[in-house]
Amino acid sequence: MIKEMLKVQIIGPRSLLDEAVREIHAAAVVHVETLPEKRLLESEFPGRFPIEREKLMEKEALEKYAERLRSFKALIPVPSSHRIVRVGFGEIHGYMAELSAFEERARELRARKDSLADELSIIIKYQKLLRGFAPIVTRLGGLRNFDITGLTLERTREDISGLLETEVSRVTEGKYSVHTREIDEHTLGVVLTYPKSYAPQVKALLSGRAVSEMRLPDEYSDMTLIEALKLMGMRSAELPGLMSGVDGELYSISTVWYGTVIGVARAIEDSLEEIGVLSYASATRFAFIIEGWVPADAYEQLASRLKGLFHDRIHLRTIDIRKEERALIPVFIKNHRLIRPFEVFLAALSTPRYGSIDPTPFVALFFPVFFGLIVADMGYGAVIFTLALYLRRRFGAEKQFLRDAATVFAVSGASAIIFGFLFGEFFGDLGERAGLLHPVLLNRIEALKTLIAVTIAIGVGHVILGVVIGIVSHARRRDLKETGAKAVYLTLIASFIALALAMAGFVPDALIPWAASVMGLSFIALSVLEGMLGPIEFMEALGNIISYVRLMAVGTASVVMALVANQMGALADNAALGVIIAALIHCLNLLLSVLSPSIQSMRLQYVEFFSKFYEGGGRLYRPFKKR
Amino acid sequence: MEKGIIALAAALAIGIPAIATGWAQSRIGSAGAGTMAEKPELAGIFIILVAIPETMVLLGFVVAYLIISG
Repeated sequence: MIKEMLKVQIIGPRSLLDEAVREIHAAAVVHVETLPEKRLLESEFPGRFPIEREKLMEKEALEKYAERLRSFKALIPVPSSHRIVRVGFGEIHGYMAELSAFEERARELRARKDSLADELSIIIKYQKLLRGFAPIVTRLGGLRNFDITGLTLERTREDISGLLETEVSRVTEGKYSVHTREIDEHTLGVVLTYPKSYAPQVKALLSGRAVSEMRLPDEYSDMTLIEALKLMGMRSAELPGLMSGVDGELYSISTVWYGTVIGVARAIEDSLEEIGVLSYASATRFAFIIEGWVPADAYEQLASRLKGLFHDRIHLRTIDIRKEERALIPVFIKNHRLIRPFEVFLAALSTPRYGSIDPTPFVALFFPVFFGLIVADMGYGAVIFTLALYLRRRFGAEKQFLRDAATVFAVSGASAIIFGFLFGEFFGDLGERAGLLHPVLLNRIEALKTLIAVTIAIGVGHVILGVVIGIVSHARRRDLKETGAKAVYLTLIASFIALALAMAGFVPDALIPWAASVMGLSFIALSVLEGMLGPIEFMEALGNIISYVRLMAVGTASVVMALVANQMGALADNAALGVIIAALIHCLNLLLSVLSPSIQSMRLQYVEFFSKFYEGGGRLYRPFKKR
Repeated sequence: MEKGIIALAAALAIGIPAIATGWAQSRIGSAGAGTMAEKPELAGIFIILVAIPETMVLLGFVVAYLIISG
């Protein structure tokens, strides 16, 4: 439910502001609000609280620390397990000094790893060339007074190879040798060997031709080709080992310091928030004023906490909520722990408006019922229930959303088991075939007409409930026009249903003129109150009611598929094969039984139900609290 | 003959809305996939939007059932 909020003012001497802020932070219930500029201008006493120079310098230092920690965290890997160290505000500087040596070491290690990785990537790039040239170069390496030049040649320009050889022969007066080798499908490697005395002529010949001399990386540029190739081979073998050594050292730093880094970062964030809150405060010459919102049921506790610590030197009081502030009241949703997991359904919507009604308790009732009504199979329900409980246990507190979703599915699975028992279904008709289970209420395949009627009746109830909640919500806010329009809307729907029932012979015919008159009058009234939108909304409500037939339609599809699985299994010659076939189809149906009913039930909540009363656009309650 | 026409009517009652639903879902689906690529947090709303046109086929199903059951 949406908790009642109080607007509070905390007033005390300026000398106690820091301590007061620390206590409000620890109390973790005040949603701190800044005093509107208009109010500060209207009043001659308070103004914005001037933040002292020392505070600003401290803030700057903390921001630098936070930046340093972010960089440090990015340098080290996350250890497999770590315990977050609790760090007090006074300990931040000490910890930062202690961490600085490790930050420096981590930076060095990271730089070393980056340079090793760069070297390895360059070597890998040259590896193809290496593989092509190495055997020839090794063979020719022993020749003294000879120069070796490696060239790469595009295969499409293979014709140049002959021309090149003729030219090299001319400049070296026939004293040369050429070795060609395929490097890859696009490139040919060519190694030229010639006396050193002809080197200038050969180099001049190669520049400006459609061939490219194999360029060595910068680190190897002073070496001869053969030396470079040897060194590259050696380095490519040892580089991975060196890199994993660096990783190991970074990991050992992380194992020792990761928890501390997180702890210090949290303490810094808390400190920065406390300094940040000062800019929300206002002050007179001698006093400070902090305004904010507190849940009504936490007010007394906060008051006694401040009284106990400051002995009336700091005063907490409630103040009136101005009309223009009503839309800004933060929304604090708190539900019983059994229905709290169903708050996940609000995640896809904007925060409900303060004063409206939290739909969570209704969703907690209707979502599992609709899900169970669609799946309605003890076997499927048991699998979903078990799987959801396993996932719930697996997701810890840090994955609260997934944990809550698993809880929702566990409850829904239990609902499917109950409806499965009522409809006599266990993996389709398997329970019935074994003579263990019989429909208690009805057989879904045989009683389609009854199910259509039941689901439409559920639709009528659910939609009317939505409209009633909408009326209550508007009435609570004394929004008379909207309350009246919703009441007329409800009358119109109810009179239409009464008329339909009377015409179908379910209720006495005498009701027809009454229902028709009420319907006509409420239709006119709705058109007056809501304009053209009124009749459209009425038509939409009828569509919404029919929409609940999906509970039957999707459920029937699911049960038919389960029956098909059993029949296909029974058709197999071999019992084992039959079980496998049936199991495979049941698995597919089970997967669909999780997806489709969830989406359909969710849709009925969001589109059919919430549209009747849900009002978004609220502001979430964010108490000033430590991380 | 009459049975055949009844069956055909029922098939049309569910078949045409099914095509319409499929067409609507394809349009919503492609727009939603684009939205999700930019804002994955809107996945919940996307799923709901895709499910909205299903009302058409459900109404078709009800009408088809009424035709067949007489």
